[in-house]
Amino acid sequence: MASRPPLLTMNRITKSFPGVRALDGVDLEVHAGEVHCLLGQNGAGKSTLIKVLAGAHRPDDGEITWAGEPVSLSSPIAAMRLGIATIYQELDLVGGLSVAENVFLGNEPTSAGFVVRGGRARAAAGRLLERLGHPEIDPARLVGELSAAQQQIVSMARALSHEVRLIVMDEPSAALDPDEVDNLFRIVGELTADGVAVVYISHRLEEIRRIGDRVTVLKDGRSVAGGLPADTTPTRDIVSLMTGRTVEHVFPDRPPGAAAARDPVLRVEGLTRDGEFAPLDLELRLVETVGLAGLLGSGRSEILETVYGARRPDAGRVLVDGVPLRPGSVRAAVRAGIGLAPEERKAQALLMLESVGGNVSVSTLSRYSRAGWLDRRAERAAAHRAVRELSLRPDDPDAAIRTLSGGNQQKVVLARWLLRGCKLLLLDEPTRGVDIGARAELYAVIRRLADEGLAVLLVSSEVPEVLGLADRVLVLREGSVVHTAPARELDEHRVLDLVMEGNPTP
Amino acid sequence: MTQPASAARKDAPTSAATPDTGRKGTRRPALVRWDVRSLSLLGVLVALVVVGGVTQPDSFLATSNLQLVLTQASVIGVVTVGMTFVITSGGIDLSVGAIVALASVWATTVATQEFGFAGILFTAVLVGVGCGLVNGLLIAYGGMVPFIATLAMLASARGLALQITDGRTQMVTVTEVLDLGVKDAYVLGVPPLVLVFAAVTVVGWLLLNRTTFGRRTVAVGGNAEAARLAGIDVRRQRLYLYLLSGLCCGIAAFLLIVLAGSGQNTNGNLYELDAIAAAIIGGTLLSGGRGTIVGSVLGVLIFTTITNIFALNNLETAVQQIAKGAIIVAAVLVQRRTLRGGDA
Amino acid sequence: MSRTSPSRRGLLFGSAAVSAGALLTACTSNEPKQQAQPAGGTPAAADKPGQAVTIGFAGPQADHGWLNAINQNAKSRAATYPDVTLEITEGSNDTAAQIGQVQTLINKKVDVLVILPADGKALTQVGLQAMRAGIPVVNLDRVFASPQAYRCWIGGDNYGMGLNAGTYIGEQLKDKPNAKVVELAGLDNLELTRQRSQGFDDALKNYPNITKVARQAADFTVESGQAKMAQLLQAQPAFDALWKIDDDQGDGAVRAIAQAGRDDFLMVGGAGAKSAMDAIKAGTGVLKATVLYPPTMAASAIDLARALGQGKGVGGLAELEIPSSLTLYSAVVTKENVDDYLPTGFN
Repeated sequence: MASRPPLLTMNRITKSFPGVRALDGVDLEVHAGEVHCLLGQNGAGKSTLIKVLAGAHRPDDGEITWAGEPVSLSSPIAAMRLGIATIYQELDLVGGLSVAENVFLGNEPTSAGFVVRGGRARAAAGRLLERLGHPEIDPARLVGELSAAQQQIVSMARALSHEVRLIVMDEPSAALDPDEVDNLFRIVGELTADGVAVVYISHRLEEIRRIGDRVTVLKDGRSVAGGLPADTTPTRDIVSLMTGRTVEHVFPDRPPGAAAARDPVLRVEGLTRDGEFAPLDLELRLVETVGLAGLLGSGRSEILETVYGARRPDAGRVLVDGVPLRPGSVRAAVRAGIGLAPEERKAQALLMLESVGGNVSVSTLSRYSRAGWLDRRAERAAAHRAVRELSLRPDDPDAAIRTLSGGNQQKVVLARWLLRGCKLLLLDEPTRGVDIGARAELYAVIRRLADEGLAVLLVSSEVPEVLGLADRVLVLREGSVVHTAPARELDEHRVLDLVMEGNPTP
Repeated sequence: MTQPASAARKDAPTSAATPDTGRKGTRRPALVRWDVRSLSLLGVLVALVVVGGVTQPDSFLATSNLQLVLTQASVIGVVTVGMTFVITSGGIDLSVGAIVALASVWATTVATQEFGFAGILFTAVLVGVGCGLVNGLLIAYGGMVPFIATLAMLASARGLALQITDGRTQMVTVTEVLDLGVKDAYVLGVPPLVLVFAAVTVVGWLLLNRTTFGRRTVAVGGNAEAARLAGIDVRRQRLYLYLLSGLCCGIAAFLLIVLAGSGQNTNGNLYELDAIAAAIIGGTLLSGGRGTIVGSVLGVLIFTTITNIFALNNLETAVQQIAKGAIIVAAVLVQRRTLRGGDA
Repeated sequence: MSRTSPSRRGLLFGSAAVSAGALLTACTSNEPKQQAQPAGGTPAAADKPGQAVTIGFAGPQADHGWLNAINQNAKSRAATYPDVTLEITEGSNDTAAQIGQVQTLINKKVDVLVILPADGKALTQVGLQAMRAGIPVVNLDRVFASPQAYRCWIGGDNYGMGLNAGTYIGEQLKDKPNAKVVELAGLDNLELTRQRSQGFDDALKNYPNITKVARQAADFTVESGQAKMAQLLQAQPAFDALWKIDDDQGDGAVRAIAQAGRDDFLMVGGAGAKSAMDAIKAGTGVLKATVLYPPTMAASAIDLARALGQGKGVGGLAELEIPSSLTLYSAVVTKENVDDYLPTGFN
């Protein structure tokens, strides 16, 4: 591939927004038929770079060459005409339109220039979906009725509906289960075999190892390394390039058996929701971390939300310190000392218009008030203490929550429950959307909280995360616990086998 | 995670990690934004005052005119304070005008008037709160969409008001009530109605900005699901919010009774639109999660001042309506322009 | 304009009956040879019953004192005739709904229709429909676009109202140099508001010493009357006379005047609410006169409908047939004659 001129060359691209220099000299070289991985922490400039590529942002300076010709990507349409398609992480689909309508949105097959040929669009969309390995998605269905993974496929079909020579994929695997990830990789393989270039962004290093050809690392708006071989560059090097510091231990060590002597804080007895998960029994002690491993749809998130009272169980009960909770009541759970860091941070946990302090104190407001009257100084001080304890950066309770990175936003959610003085923390995908450098720090925080006396119930689709953090692991498959074991007795392979094959233990 | 607009801004907090400089640096934008918002509204109001002062120097700048503008703003102003809370929580109350009508009518029936001043005041407030309670129950516990529930209330309250009055104007004969509206009742030159308006504004501001109630209102409006999962009783909060709006309508109805000396089923016509418009122009987000009492009150004053200037200049209704629409657009544009400047 | 075209005061019948405070009853008769009952409010029951007539009545929503009085007048008038059955529909301000209601009445095959349309032009078609179906239509006040759509129109005189109000004010102020007059008008969307203002302006032209210095339009509600009047009072620190076009919104204007503590001018009202007449009679306030827009026209319309149903003419006139158009006189009620009109005042 190196013999031919590169398909895309970007030279010294800079882009400033008021107050921020988002890109400060980025070089990128992508060849036809390669999978070029883009790595970098949040805020390193990946999103801005993608937007420049998609024609959504115009760079302040720098050159872009396309197949040897200098070009200016002045608008999304200009980029599309060249054959650049972008699949954004936040899916940009219209829920109220059908699959086919979404695929051809703005590009509908028409008669006489304006009469939409619905039938032809559906047939073409069907062919695209088939090529993507998902013939079961009906082109006439509303996108809003599809699962996140299926929506991802529709996004991809939309990208492929144009004559495409370069596809940008922004964390395409984030919402996918392992078998769907395999399908994604198959599609990527087919595309590159056809000579299409793929710019692939992911936080999962193992994916990059599997499908990537070369890697460009961004840090603070600059490309700090370009064209590294994806399969042979040591992880340690990549992480230190991204973070600018060396990473010793991703998961902090922990001695076994620390929890055995402590009191049980949570007892779950025969908890059931029909069609979601089978009767579940579980005991959790202070200082202990229990992980739930399972695929999307295995009931793992549903269990957390039912324990928390956000869903009403069909049978069974939840006891905290031996006292049963009123079923289906979040308030009862919170009062008993349970806190939840939900999977969809923005949609379910954060008040995006509020400050950091306002987000931290929202569960404890009555503590700083007399007869409804807020003592704002006390509130701010408490929030400040909590975020400092979790080494939030910046540890400023007045900062707007929008300006924080994913990892720091997650810390704000944890600070909320820390302030509340909760005994049991339920974590649903705590590192979703958090970059590698910040993950290590978040792991350390979670571990420290457990060491200091909290019980943690953790759900994650990333098996290494469950194994690294949890003392004990429950493997779920189709709503049932198929295996329970101390984390140190399991490895990633074994867990994946159990998750997929299911080998019920008595 | 990588949301388009905020992508660029994320760099600052992650890389610049020194907490002490960070605090002031990140705090200022939020403060500036609020100030700019209210300041630009204040600017619009000042511009209107200049226009009024130039075109009608004698009558516009008189004390009596200031009293007049504030008095006329009182009724809709009190309604708008309640509306601001509802909108901040992500809801809407279309029934405010109808509730004002019903409360003003119920409080001025012959039977009610026999109980005198207290009877009228008590009935107006009680009817307002009662309607708010029904709204709140339907929305919070009946699971109805606020738009529909309050639309239904609008229709029924207007209908009930018509039924009570039979289309007649019910004149108030209780002199203590009527006397509240005349010059002799002014306290140090301030009409009692304006005092009530001011009190409602101050209480509303404190409630929104200084109490757990206000904070929960903002949380429910900003992200109801997050508020629920954070342990806030979202439903009860919603119930209280519509009760509050109803209470404001009851107070406003009493003010209107004093002002118009009567109760009529056509009272409060289109108050819902005026109140919503004033709140939105003031800077309260229609989608919820942010609200400002000061902005809402400025919005009401802008509206009332416009009407006043037009009347003093003896403009035709048609011209008034055209100009009013243009000024609304101008006010919002000025605000957005200054906001964008302040955002950087 | 078609409403004002029938000779404004020429109809002896209309002006005589109404200005005497009497109702039309006296003027319909069973048999030609029988003497008409003398005017003066003689009960309709004195009129001998004839052939049974079913009258359909469709009016707008009674959300205003005057409209409410219209409904009351129609109902009580019909109740006085043993030979009249009144089919009255739910009042509606929605044109489509009102069309539906009239069509229902047509289908019910009522003998005569009395229609006070929410919007005259919009209901023309349904008026035509009724006439073609052989049902005579008495068009009340708001006139249809085509004379074919009604057999008889009866209504008030908006232009005359303004004219008489202006003339009254002119006579009161004719010796005062540089007199200033203010008008508190009604909804500018309505043609009737324009007509009233036009008549008022035309009358004032006869008095060169008088200028109209301000006009504001309220919307026929007490609330808007108060608001607009308060602004007018602020804008005009001194003036000599005020015409408020409508007594309902005038109640609000009265509040605004009381609140501003002003009494340095004379006020003339419009329509003829009982509260206004009481105030004129008391003579202590600024309200010195009101110009009628009599809701008794609804009672007259019932009389006309009954006569049409029974194939009779109007007593007291030489005509064999009912006139095709009756414009009522807008009398000026002052302290001197208020006692005559008090019974017609509406709440």
